[in-house]
Amino acid sequence: MSIEVRNLRKAFGTFVALDDVNLDVPGGELVALLGPSGSGKTTLLRIIAGLEPADQGLIRFEGEDTTDRPVRERQVGFVFQHYALFRHMSVFENIAFGLRVRPRPVRPSDEEIRDTVMGLLRLVQLEALGQRRPSELSGGQRQRVALARALAVKPKVLLLDEPFGALDAKVRKELRRWLRRLHEEVHVTSVFVTHDQEEALEVSDRVVIMNEGRVEQSGTPEEVYERPATPFVYGFLGDVNLFHGRIDRGRVKVGASELDAPEWAEARDQAGVAYVRTYDVELTPSSSGRSSIETIVRHIRAFGPVIRLELDRVEDGGSVEAHLPRAQYDKLGLVKGQRVFVSPTSVRVFAGPADGSAARIA
Amino acid sequence: MTTAAVFRSATAAPRAVTRATGESRVVRWLLISIALVFLALVLLLPLVLVFNQAFAKGLPAYWDAIVQPDALSAAKLTLLTAAIAVPANLLFGVAAAWCVTKFEFRGKSVLITLIDLPFAVSPVISGMIFVLLFGAQGWLGDWLFEHDIRIIFAVPGIVLATTFVTAPFVARELIPLMQEQGSEEEEAAIVLGASGWQTFFRVTLPNIKWGLLYGLILCNARAMGEFGAVSVVSGHIRGETNTLPLHVEILYNEYAFAASFAVASVLTLLALVTLALKTLVEKRMAS
Repeated sequence: MSIEVRNLRKAFGTFVALDDVNLDVPGGELVALLGPSGSGKTTLLRIIAGLEPADQGLIRFEGEDTTDRPVRERQVGFVFQHYALFRHMSVFENIAFGLRVRPRPVRPSDEEIRDTVMGLLRLVQLEALGQRRPSELSGGQRQRVALARALAVKPKVLLLDEPFGALDAKVRKELRRWLRRLHEEVHVTSVFVTHDQEEALEVSDRVVIMNEGRVEQSGTPEEVYERPATPFVYGFLGDVNLFHGRIDRGRVKVGASELDAPEWAEARDQAGVAYVRTYDVELTPSSSGRSSIETIVRHIRAFGPVIRLELDRVEDGGSVEAHLPRAQYDKLGLVKGQRVFVSPTSVRVFAGPADGSAARIA
Repeated sequence: MTTAAVFRSATAAPRAVTRATGESRVVRWLLISIALVFLALVLLLPLVLVFNQAFAKGLPAYWDAIVQPDALSAAKLTLLTAAIAVPANLLFGVAAAWCVTKFEFRGKSVLITLIDLPFAVSPVISGMIFVLLFGAQGWLGDWLFEHDIRIIFAVPGIVLATTFVTAPFVARELIPLMQEQGSEEEEAAIVLGASGWQTFFRVTLPNIKWGLLYGLILCNARAMGEFGAVSVVSGHIRGETNTLPLHVEILYNEYAFAASFAVASVLTLLALVTLALKTLVEKRMAS
C-alpha cells in the first residue's frame, strides 16, 4: 500500500518539528527516513502511524485520506525503538496480542492464532523461545519479537522507529541484512527511521533525508549519495571537505588556488563553498596546476586498505582530510610534517555560506 | 595443609576489604545500639504494653470486651467504612494516576498537588471541612435538613471523611510507577488494534498490579485506623457512629483500661497483618 504525505506541519509549543513535509512511499518499498536527531523523522513516523496528530496537512494510504482515522483502524505495524514488548506476557502471547484483542466476529480461533504465531516465530527464527518472557531475551531477540508482533496483524504498512538503535554494532549488521531479506519475503510497504547513514544506504530502496523538520532530498541510495541536492545532504552522507571561496565565471577561488565549477559559468563574484569528498583528491609532491592546494601532513592513520591523512593548509591552517588507497600511499612515501599538494578531482559548489541554509544548486 | 592455606587466604581477603571500606568496631556497635534502643523504646515496648494491658484482667475479660455489643458495632462500622472508602480510592487513584502519567494537559501539576492535599492538612481539619460543608450551620446544612439527609454525626460523614483522608495512598503509589513504565506499551497495544478498555485490562493493569495492591493495603490500614477526621464528624454515638479507634478512646476515658486495650489490641493485630502483607507484596514488586 502506498503512502502519500502532503504539506504536513507539526509544532510542539514553539518548536517546529515538521515544516511542510511532502513524501511519497510507493507500495511495497522499503524507505529510510534519515536525519540527525531533532530533524523530525520520528515525529513524521508517529504521525503516519496515527500516534500523534498533525497540525496541518494530510496522509493518504493507497490514495485514501486517513488523517482522521483512529490508530487502531489504520492497520499499521509499529516497531518501537525500545520494542515496548508487553513485559508480563510470554513471547508467544506478545505476538498473539493483536489477534486476541479483535472483536469476537473477526477473531481467529485459538488454533488459528497458534498457527499464525508459530509461523511468525519461525520467520523470526525464535521457535524455541515462545514461552520466555521479554526480560529473558537479548536485545536482538527482542527486536525480532517486536517485528513478529507487528506483522501478526498483517499490517498494510510497517513502521520502524530506530529499529537497530539500541543494539551493539555486530548484532546491528546482522539484523540489517535480516530485515532486508525479510522485506523481500513479506513485501509490506515499510518505513524506518534511522540516524545512521550507512544503515539507510545499505538497507533501503529509497532514502529520505530530513533536516530541521524539512525533507532535504529523497531518492535511491545511489542518487542521494552521488548527487546530493543540498549542502546538508553532501555533508551528512559520507566524509567531505569544505573550501570557502568566491565563485566567479565558472571558477571558485579558494585562497591562491582555483577550482573548476562549470555549472556556475553565469556567476559573478559571489560567496560559495566547494564540497570535496575525502576520496576525490589527488596528492602530489609538487604543484600540479592552478587547482593544487598546498598542505602539510599533520597526522597519518595507516591501517586497513584505506589510509586516512589529516593535512593542514599552508595558506590559512584549515584542515583537509584525504583518504588514499594503500598502493598510492606507499608510492608517495609520505611522512608526518612533509609538504604535499592536494588536487580535488571532483568538486561540487554551492552558493552561500557553509551552514547550508537554503542554499540550492544552480 | 593445602586446605588450611586455601582457607586462610580466603578469609584474609574479605577482612582487608572491611577494614578499607567499613567503620571501626566501636562506631559500628554504637550506631547499631542507638538504632536498637530507639526501636525498642518507640515501637516494641508500646506493642508489648498494649497486649500486656489487654490481658491484665485475664482472657475472659479480654473476650468480653471484644464481643460487647458496642465494640462489635464499632468493628462493623469500621469494616463498612473501609469497604466503601478503599474501593472508592481504588477507582480514584487509578483514574488520577492514569490521567497524570499518560496524558499532557494544563493544570497537571495543580492536580498532583491536590492529590497530596489530604496528607498535607491535619486530619482534624479534614473533618472540619465536612462539618463546614454538611453540618447544621454549614453551607449545605439547611438544604440537607429540609430533605432529611443526615451526613454529619452519621455514617455518611464518617465514610466521606475517611475517603478524603485516605485518597492519596493509591494515586501516590501508582504515579511514580506508571511514570517509570511510560506509555509505549499502551501505544503498542492500540496500534495492534486494542480498545481503551482492552489496553487498560490487558496491558496497564497487569503492569501495575503489585503497586496497586501495595497502595490498597496502606489505604485500608489508614481507613480502619483513622481517628482525627472521623472523631470530628462522628458525634461519638455509641453503637451507631463509633468506629474502633473512637471506641478505644471512649473506653479509655471511662477508665475501662483493660477493655480499652483489648479493643486496641485488635487494631494492633490488624496493623501487624498489614505489615506482613506489605512485606510480601514488596517482595513480589521487587521480583
